[in-house]
Amino acid sequence: MMKKQILLGNEAIALGLLEGGCQILTSYPGTPSSEILPGAVKLIKSEGLNTYTEWSTNEKVALDNAFAAAIAGKRAACCMKQVGLNVAADSLMSAAYLGTVGALVIISCDDPGPHSSQTEQDSRLMARLAKVPVLDPSTAEEARLMAKFALDLSEEYKVPVVLRPAIRVCHARQDITWEKLHSNDTSASFEKDPTHWAATPRFRYLLHKELNKKLQEMSRRFDTLKQFNFHNLQEGKSYNLGIIAGGVPYAVVRDILAEEDRDDIAVLKIGTPYPFPERLAQEFVNACEKILVLEETDTVIEYFLRDRQKVLGRLSGHVPQEGELVPDVIYEIIDKTFKERGMEPLSDQMDRSAMELVGSLDLPVRRPTLCPGCPHRASFFSIKKAKPKAIFTSDIGCYTLGLNLGGVDTCLDMGAAITMASGFYHAFAQDGIEQPVVATIGDSTFYHSGTAGLLNAVYNGSRFVLVILDNEITAMTGMQPTPGLGVRADGSKGRQIALEQVVRGCGVDFVEVVDPYDIKAMTNVVKKAAQYVAEPEGGIAVIIARHPCVIAYRSEAIPEPKRITITEDCVECNLCIEKFECPALYRDEELGRTAVNPVLCTGCGVCIEVCPKGAIVEA
Amino acid sequence: METTNIILCGLGGQGVLFMTRILAETAMHRGQKVVGAETHGMAQRGGSVISHLRLGEAEGSLIRSGTAHYLLALDEHEAYRYLPFLAKGGKLYVNVEPGMFPRPEVGAHIKSNKIVYRCVAATKIALDLGAPMSTNLALLGYFAGFDDGPFSGREIRQTVERVSPERFREMNLKVFDSSLETGERT
Repeated sequence: MMKKQILLGNEAIALGLLEGGCQILTSYPGTPSSEILPGAVKLIKSEGLNTYTEWSTNEKVALDNAFAAAIAGKRAACCMKQVGLNVAADSLMSAAYLGTVGALVIISCDDPGPHSSQTEQDSRLMARLAKVPVLDPSTAEEARLMAKFALDLSEEYKVPVVLRPAIRVCHARQDITWEKLHSNDTSASFEKDPTHWAATPRFRYLLHKELNKKLQEMSRRFDTLKQFNFHNLQEGKSYNLGIIAGGVPYAVVRDILAEEDRDDIAVLKIGTPYPFPERLAQEFVNACEKILVLEETDTVIEYFLRDRQKVLGRLSGHVPQEGELVPDVIYEIIDKTFKERGMEPLSDQMDRSAMELVGSLDLPVRRPTLCPGCPHRASFFSIKKAKPKAIFTSDIGCYTLGLNLGGVDTCLDMGAAITMASGFYHAFAQDGIEQPVVATIGDSTFYHSGTAGLLNAVYNGSRFVLVILDNEITAMTGMQPTPGLGVRADGSKGRQIALEQVVRGCGVDFVEVVDPYDIKAMTNVVKKAAQYVAEPEGGIAVIIARHPCVIAYRSEAIPEPKRITITEDCVECNLCIEKFECPALYRDEELGRTAVNPVLCTGCGVCIEVCPKGAIVEA
Repeated sequence: METTNIILCGLGGQGVLFMTRILAETAMHRGQKVVGAETHGMAQRGGSVISHLRLGEAEGSLIRSGTAHYLLALDEHEAYRYLPFLAKGGKLYVNVEPGMFPRPEVGAHIKSNKIVYRCVAATKIALDLGAPMSTNLALLGYFAGFDDGPFSGREIRQTVERVSPERFREMNLKVFDSSLETGERT
């Protein structure tokens, strides 16, 4: 029976994977990839499939797990955000040489903008570096088709395949029609062949040669893969300008030219940027005087075009080198290029006056803020109170927003709160300076990348306070479970691994658990930890600040909400608004003092302890 | 290429996504093709939230400036922020006390671009009915009350009834109906 549903791009990808018979699916959450695995879990349950899913502890772990399944003859996939692929890069580079028996698809979701990432890096370049094919979908529907195709391609050529959807595909919504799904019952078998699966450098050379041969074959195959690579050239006609586009920019180009009825423009869509469909591209380039290349986020197609004289793109200054190619930007690029080529411009000569008007309105800047009732806010407040002069290294998660509270000085990559804390320690210790450092890291990030850095810091005698902000969930990416929670991807019970146990296992002697809602207790334990760090026999002190996330577990986080009110004792010092930054507290112009927004207030009551005048009270 | 473009905006937590879902489902239910774009992740933490909804033949999920037919804003400031999306003659529905909109600086722009704006105190309607989290349904009901969108108010109501979670259904419809009447009376 046919089903029609509006699916999120990531759910469409999950659908495509299951349509392609994916048997093993692993992932570590990260925007914009997080909804692929939950989307699959939902379909697996509703369709009664036997696909195995797991939230792995990090992306490398996810890829290694999927790789093993793929060389045991299964169809496997792993999903992550683009910076997650950096973590898994070691695995990817090697897996490319070793190849597969079944299928291995790596889905790496890019974030041009960036909207929710440290970088705008282009996963297509990672695929090129690893020498594995990469598919670049333009729409949610195409991402679904490509996910299935990627599994087929991988198994056919015995090579890992990267699917690279950008955020506008992942978080697009589209109506999708699909039919009943069936389980893939291919059973696992592993044929021992150590010269291959544990290849030494001598054999690696041969594997590299084999991979290059596969890439050449796939490039030929992609030349005629009309489903994903196609153009509108008319036989014998030559064009003033041709546009080559891939990914999301293709969908935008297609819409603009359709709206404008511009069939005088040749367009080549490339869905398989690597290995590059050389012949197809050459045929297109030959028919056009100039070629405008529109792709996200970096230059891939542009580099592959051999006739450099013809190409207009990032290298020629026609396309911005950074930021998302949103429709406004693409419209302007096309219009400008048309004019430059002496062609009829686009119809809508953009009126910038509305944007200038809005720019002049002085609208409130809506910077992302920790939620009302967030336990991290309480933690940062206490840390700052106890050790105001420390360097605050932090990490990737909701709590990066602690920078609004002055509680975050650095954010590099997953796990760097700990590694940078030890780096700072040694840099200052070398000069004989005892510089206090307080590191903050979330529970999920600690499980992801914390232990290697902590082991290193303990082993090498670093000294700092580490606060693990344990809200018992991976909150930023949409509430995925952690090993500390002991719940698995499909909701079943898993083995719970307590943070305390892991931290002690890393050789830390000072481990204290505290509820950050208790500002006094939390402040005292940070002071005590800092003292331990400074003692001759001291070392690294770890505080586990444990309180459930208010979004994931509202009633457990705040079992008895308090009705908060502000008395006339308020002297408008604004400490609660500026230093505590609870979105529920604001300055009421009519009252002439701070007030509580009852819609936003969660009744956590932490602000009561924060007010130096005792003006915040329970009503 | 016939496409209806709708921008929905507000603040993180106000329910922009649910409002978008209702309209998208309504379109799909009547056999229209739907594509849209959502805000997730960092931007959702209290930040400005926008979603794009396109009904018809479009493939790209984002709407270009000056081409939106409708703008539904759950917050007054966000309405101003995303005003450049509206096409000439576009319609703006905004959660603000009637009479308090627009700011004088914006009046000329709205007039010269023939933008039709309609204001409703959606937050107040929701609060008065004891559902402070349902501002989104109050604005949607008001929009439905005019019956001049791409689909009828009745169709939107049917979707609210169909997709609301069981425990919120009654309240959602109550808020929706109340502001639908306000819209009809206006």
